[in-house]
Amino acid sequence: MSATGKRNAAGAAVLLGLLAALPPLIHNQYFTGVFIVCAIDGIWAASWDFFSGLTGRENFGHALFIGGGAYAAAFLNGSFGLNPWFSIPAGIVVAVVLGLLVGFPTLRLRGPYFALAMLASAAIMQQVAINLWQYTGGTEGIYGLDTLVESSLGYYYLVLGILVATVVVLSLIAKSRWGTLMRAIKGDETACQAAGINVTFYKIASLAVSAAFAGLGGVLFAQYQQAVTPSDFDVFLSISVIIMAYVGGIGSIWGAACGGILLNLMLELLRGLGEYRLWVYYLILMVVLYFMREGFVAPLWRRLRGGQA
Amino acid sequence: MLTVLIYGAVTSAILAMLAVGFTLIFGVARILNLAHGAFYALGAYCAYSFTALLKLPLIVSALLSVGIVAVFGMAMERVLVRPLRQSSLAVLMITLVTALTLEQVLFVVFGSQSKNVPAFVNFPLDVGGVSVDGQRLLALVIAVVLIGALWLFIQRTRLGSAILAVSQDPEAAQYMGIPANRIFTLVMGLSAALAGAAGVIAGPFLSVRPTMDQTAMITAFSVVIVGGLGSIPGSILAACIIGFSQTLVAFYFNPEWTGTVSLVAILLTLVIRPSGLMGRVVNA
Repeated sequence: MSATGKRNAAGAAVLLGLLAALPPLIHNQYFTGVFIVCAIDGIWAASWDFFSGLTGRENFGHALFIGGGAYAAAFLNGSFGLNPWFSIPAGIVVAVVLGLLVGFPTLRLRGPYFALAMLASAAIMQQVAINLWQYTGGTEGIYGLDTLVESSLGYYYLVLGILVATVVVLSLIAKSRWGTLMRAIKGDETACQAAGINVTFYKIASLAVSAAFAGLGGVLFAQYQQAVTPSDFDVFLSISVIIMAYVGGIGSIWGAACGGILLNLMLELLRGLGEYRLWVYYLILMVVLYFMREGFVAPLWRRLRGGQA
Repeated sequence: MLTVLIYGAVTSAILAMLAVGFTLIFGVARILNLAHGAFYALGAYCAYSFTALLKLPLIVSALLSVGIVAVFGMAMERVLVRPLRQSSLAVLMITLVTALTLEQVLFVVFGSQSKNVPAFVNFPLDVGGVSVDGQRLLALVIAVVLIGALWLFIQRTRLGSAILAVSQDPEAAQYMGIPANRIFTLVMGLSAALAGAAGVIAGPFLSVRPTMDQTAMITAFSVVIVGGLGSIPGSILAACIIGFSQTLVAFYFNPEWTGTVSLVAILLTLVIRPSGLMGRVVNA
């Protein structure tokens, strides 16, 4: 193993140790909840980064997959009372189907056109969730879902485990030939096509993988909240996920996950500021974005670690 | 029928005002300005502060509000956007965060309740047997005049030609002695002023709330994309299509589904015409 590889492994081990040890050490129901949400945000940001970071198509409707997974869980477990563990595969399947449905027609769209198509798709689902109130509970949503794991600490470890698995799986794909092709598509799609690469297949498959993990995160979120609301499809959620990935460092996957955790913790630390909280939060973000154009977490680590990527 | 025509025209005019500014700054400077909705909200809140709180005369407060929004836009371009112009994603993020920050400032200063901006024209007018409230008609007239003036400015004046030159090729324009950076700031000011003016004149018949920028942003974005990024006629055409279809659905079907119908229309347009109705093919 190279020197940089060793340092990467050491960094990951320290980070994971901290994430695993902090909640039981703080030993506070509320903070465990904060960490659960952090880890779920990490899953969302990593899955966004996998598609958008690698292919360079900014997805402004990631909440479509998150909400899809969450509502799948709500219907199966909340409305029909099925075992909550069924929610996980169901949420993934629903998110993948949504990804394929949106992926096919919007494939050839580029840049802002793709961003708007995704944004519109998520907004349509949100409207449908509000307007079909007979089935979806309208703006109130569906509540009364069961928890997957009784103790919140136990649930935290489940979510953390899934976060680690998400980052590992997505990073492995990103390192494989598939990931290289995704980056090639970002660079020059026409050239890829000319070289005989099935661009369509890779774009759709990548969006589906991204959707699958986002939907999984959506299920975990719904089962944790024990409720879903139309805000699970909100533009604001999509935008927050993008900001997390950007702060983490676009295209790094693990960095995006850290960005999600970091921003959530920061928001929590600012809680004492009352109504000024979000104002200060966005002001800090503005400064970070202004001075660190490549993002914060992953570039900082690269500098600390030294050596080649 | 006439009612639908008039209300549709008013909605379209406001949409067009928002969309033209948004598409202008993209067409000229390739800046996808996600703070555009915030300009609109800022305009409405300035109008509210000057009229309802400071009791200034309407015309003075309207001009002041538009001026403030224009200065805000230019300052944002100069301070935040220009240093990041190398990366389009960085520009996108910084304008987005600017919008969110401004939204929070408005929320902290004015609270989350919606505010009432006094109308400029307070009586209903009779148009061909249909009674329409005066403010909406005024909004329609002002929108048409402002967009017309902008069009003339770009097509007929020297400065307008400079803007067109920069939009075609900033580097070549620079060689011809056109200060591209100053043009960007100017266009951002114009674009912000237009959005601010939309906020001022639409304020009296819309609810003025800190979160109003999000809806405005998404609608402007949709109109511009459907029309084709960077195309002013395309934006106006798309504004009319979306404005009239929203009004039609609200009148003849169910107001609850207006949002959904226009969103589906947007998605369909994108699928059928990937570069919008009148857009050039962009490799953004």
